[in-house]
Amino acid sequence: MTGADPRGGTAVAAPAREHPDGGTADVHGLDPALLDSMAGSALRWLDGMRDCFRLPADVTTDADPNLTLKPLGELAELTHLIRTRHPRADVRTLAEGLFAFAWEETRGGALFGDLLRGEPRATYPVELYGVFARTGLRHPGVEELIRTATGLRGWRVAREDHTRTLGVLNAERRIGLPEHADFAEVLAMTGLGCRSEPWTLDRKAAYGVTHDVFHLTDWGRARERMPADLAEYLRLWVPSWLECWLEEELWDLAGEWLAVSACLPVPVQDPAAWRRLAAAQAPDGSVPESGTEPPPGPDEADAFTACYHSTLVTAFAATLARIGAADGSDTAPHSPAPHSPSLPHGPAPHGAAATRNTAMEGPESEAAS
Amino acid sequence: MAEQAQGISPLSAVVADVAQGVALALRGGGGSYALSDVLPPDEAVAPAAVRVLGADALAPYALDRAAATGGATDRTTADRALVRAALTAFAPGADASEVSLWSYRGLLAAARALLPADPDGWPPEPPAATAWTATDPWPKLAHRASQLASLALPGLDTPLAAGLAERTDDLARGFVRAVRRRDWLQAAGLGRWLASAADVPDTLGLDSGLVFVRQMSGTQPRVALHVAAAARFYGRGS
Repeated sequence: MTGADPRGGTAVAAPAREHPDGGTADVHGLDPALLDSMAGSALRWLDGMRDCFRLPADVTTDADPNLTLKPLGELAELTHLIRTRHPRADVRTLAEGLFAFAWEETRGGALFGDLLRGEPRATYPVELYGVFARTGLRHPGVEELIRTATGLRGWRVAREDHTRTLGVLNAERRIGLPEHADFAEVLAMTGLGCRSEPWTLDRKAAYGVTHDVFHLTDWGRARERMPADLAEYLRLWVPSWLECWLEEELWDLAGEWLAVSACLPVPVQDPAAWRRLAAAQAPDGSVPESGTEPPPGPDEADAFTACYHSTLVTAFAATLARIGAADGSDTAPHSPAPHSPSLPHGPAPHGAAATRNTAMEGPESEAAS
Repeated sequence: MAEQAQGISPLSAVVADVAQGVALALRGGGGSYALSDVLPPDEAVAPAAVRVLGADALAPYALDRAAATGGATDRTTADRALVRAALTAFAPGADASEVSLWSYRGLLAAARALLPADPDGWPPEPPAATAWTATDPWPKLAHRASQLASLALPGLDTPLAAGLAERTDDLARGFVRAVRRRDWLQAAGLGRWLASAADVPDTLGLDSGLVFVRQMSGTQPRVALHVAAAARFYGRGS
């Protein structure tokens, strides 16, 4: 979105609160109509898939969290930004509906109490709760449990990787808890923080870097938090990584790199890359995880599993790209955000399932144990 | 040579042999270098091999230009004849690609700079554009630049090198992509250009990247050649 006149052609983004609908101005060479079409159709497909997001009765016991809590957590995290930041009211409305649906599925947060009673040391209930707590959706009983669990010395035991720890720290700050470690120190030990040689990135490391960025910038809300050296690192190498994964037709990771591009203090945008991702989006709005083949299997559940993550990422990245360069921390009027908005990081539910060994945050590792 | 490498065309086998000799010379081994020693002039594909390698056929002479151009010895006379044959037989046609034009100009420039003057004069320099070095998207630029890595040679101050010097970040992005694709030849060529640049981003890790490419590529002589040139001429990756 652009300045006071959304068709003024300026590259300076307006505060999100203005929400000029249907702007046609070109943002950083991008095609706003294309971005809005991609986000809108992706959300409509997701909206039609609500039944697949619904949590089963055995969600706290036997259900596979990769197919239950993880998709729902992603839905909440990514639609929250869209519902507060997208310039188009119709897109915000769709996202708002999905976000509210996700909260309802948690039974107003009571779900997290059940999960914590089952696994007091698990981080994922705290991370998922943080998504909602950030917006002011809270559950007093759950908060009591969380304060106890996160106050234990055992909570400070290192997580399986530093990127995941950033996600936990994010949740702590979103909820208003003391942080169990220093964010900057943990960041310095991640692939992003140590500025790994860019030619060493494999798929797993790539997901690590994208999520380092998401946690650091609070999922694109606080781009100014990016230290200059890391911003320069990403400015240099994201174009290369984006190209690599577009060529591999791994659309969820391509979408994540496009989102990362929009998280830089000065966003780097690639209109041609957006056109390539758009070409991968099916007419129904879904975006396959990889390739051009239709999702395996005829039934809805298969299509959901094959597409939900890439489709969510597409809507999220298109929103970030659309917002442009100017808005800062999450103070938009549509966000209740009662807590300090200057909190980096966020839980990182992620569709790259454990079977792909992507080091993505999400409930799978602990919930499955 | 060709007999030892079944399934490889004689030309590629000859090119590999010469590249190996050049790399060895750049690493400081094998005694003094002469193109006509590593490439017998009576070899049928000798002119083609020189044309393929371009300026690299003469790269070891850049180590000691005075010795190479000090006077026409038997060896330099033989080298001059080899290069002249290549320039004559494989002059770019009207529809030649930019890569073909520039590799020809690279060989010609190296001959002028590194061999004793040809009494008959060297062939004329064909016109070649540089606009693409400013306008190519980085993946295409990187691909072309890697094919022209033989022009990354001290003393060959071509407009091509000047153009590429303005695109260091993009060449570095190409290096990253090439390594990820395990395209070691492209990576090595780009690494060589980057070694010649003064403003390579530190975070690229060029020195370890060049070593990595050499080790991962196994025994590809042209990869070894580029990595050796980067080390010997520009002090990178060694």
